[in-house]
Amino acid sequence: MYKLVGVFCILAGCVGFGNLKVRQDKERIRHLRELIRMIRRIQDEISYGKHTLPEICLILAKISDVWYVPYFEEIHRQVMQGDSTGLKEVWREQMEACLKSLPLQQEEKDVMIQLPACLGLQEETRQARGIGQAAELLTGRCRKAEEAYENRAKMIHSVSILAGLLLSILLL
Amino acid sequence: MHREELLRMFPERMRDRWQETADLCGQLQEIRLRSGLPVTIYTEEGERFIDGRGRVVDRQDAAVRSTPKELEDILQHLCQYSLYAFADEIRQGFLTIQGGHRVGLAGQVILEEAGRIRNMKYIRYLNIRIAHQIKGAADSVIAYLYENGQVCNTLLISPPGCGKTTMLRDLIRQLSDGTVYGQGVNVSVVDERSEIAGSYMGIPQNDVGTRTDILDGCPKAEGMMMLIRSMSPQVLAVDELGSDQDMEALRLASGCGCKLMATIHGSSLEEIKSKEYMRYVIAERLFDRFVVLGRQSGNFVIEGIYDREGKRCIS
Repeated sequence: MYKLVGVFCILAGCVGFGNLKVRQDKERIRHLRELIRMIRRIQDEISYGKHTLPEICLILAKISDVWYVPYFEEIHRQVMQGDSTGLKEVWREQMEACLKSLPLQQEEKDVMIQLPACLGLQEETRQARGIGQAAELLTGRCRKAEEAYENRAKMIHSVSILAGLLLSILLL
Repeated sequence: MHREELLRMFPERMRDRWQETADLCGQLQEIRLRSGLPVTIYTEEGERFIDGRGRVVDRQDAAVRSTPKELEDILQHLCQYSLYAFADEIRQGFLTIQGGHRVGLAGQVILEEAGRIRNMKYIRYLNIRIAHQIKGAADSVIAYLYENGQVCNTLLISPPGCGKTTMLRDLIRQLSDGTVYGQGVNVSVVDERSEIAGSYMGIPQNDVGTRTDILDGCPKAEGMMMLIRSMSPQVLAVDELGSDQDMEALRLASGCGCKLMATIHGSSLEEIKSKEYMRYVIAERLFDRFVVLGRQSGNFVIEGIYDREGKRCIS
């Protein structure tokens, strides 16, 4: 009886671990889509609205996923109050804190963290295009992740069940 | 203007240098920053300098000198690190920042093939003109700007820095809120350079009255016609007339039945009359009052108020 319960626990643990990994992949895709949406919005606000970056942060705080809201509000607050060392520094600081615990790869986080490095152009269309390169990079990553998601999910589920069975057999 | 507002014009690491200047914010008129040259401020008392410790001094040789990097950092900060959003203003040689303060720019101009200005680079000269809202600035003239209970078409004339915009702003406020000479009226303002209302994100930072509509950042000629069509103003106010298009728009606006409040650069009524683009406006007697402003011993003064015939109403 104890052995049966033990096997069940091992199997449940392995399947749970597999599910966690699959959910992380799903979350990664969701956050990539959200980042792309935000960068596209930044592009639009630059080229059509001619809003400044701090103003855009305020707009993003209103339209983006609840996770990002306090960080964008803080960027806006610090830059507008002028108490910061500059937009690039505040942005980096806040985005690092924001993206730290998200299931994104470091390169994907860096795209967002270093976004203000593309700033400095004096013509809004070109500036928007400069920012747009970041969105294209993330779009490519997101597409790959979406394509791989189904197969990867199946593979993780299978491996986790097999690993659970193997572990159970070894422990028996 | 508050001292904090002045300090916020500069990046945080430079603020120590501006603490003492910020204490003078009430009387500060201009801050001039030139690459490699002494940092200069202009107050009601005249020209003064800032030394390396941020003290306001009278000796030019004690003054600290601006570096190109400092100027670039200040410009970036003033543009909220978003130069693209101020591209049109930079092209025109100035930008207006929160609070309605105007920052004049000079550097190297880049031309398009057609000879028009495309951009400006190596911006090495900044002139920060501090806007002051002085409530009551128009008290001494307002009585002369009514005729039979109606607001007169009025042109304010003065050389730069003599308080045209300050007076126009207060006139707008008083006409909008109402005075002892007349009830409040709907005033529409074309604030091409955001100096009158000092709008930030569409909200006026200065008190321009309760019945005032602001069209911010719009060219005057187009803006006047837009406002007439959309807001049906009783008074239309514009700052710094200066082209044939402006005059044509004024003519059309006056034909629509609204009263005009405008300013123009000039030192006297005679000088204004001699300007080519003013010829029609003068001949048609578009304006009922001309208020000439000047400066004596550092103070702004009203040099004269003239009626449509050019006769003095006040001397």
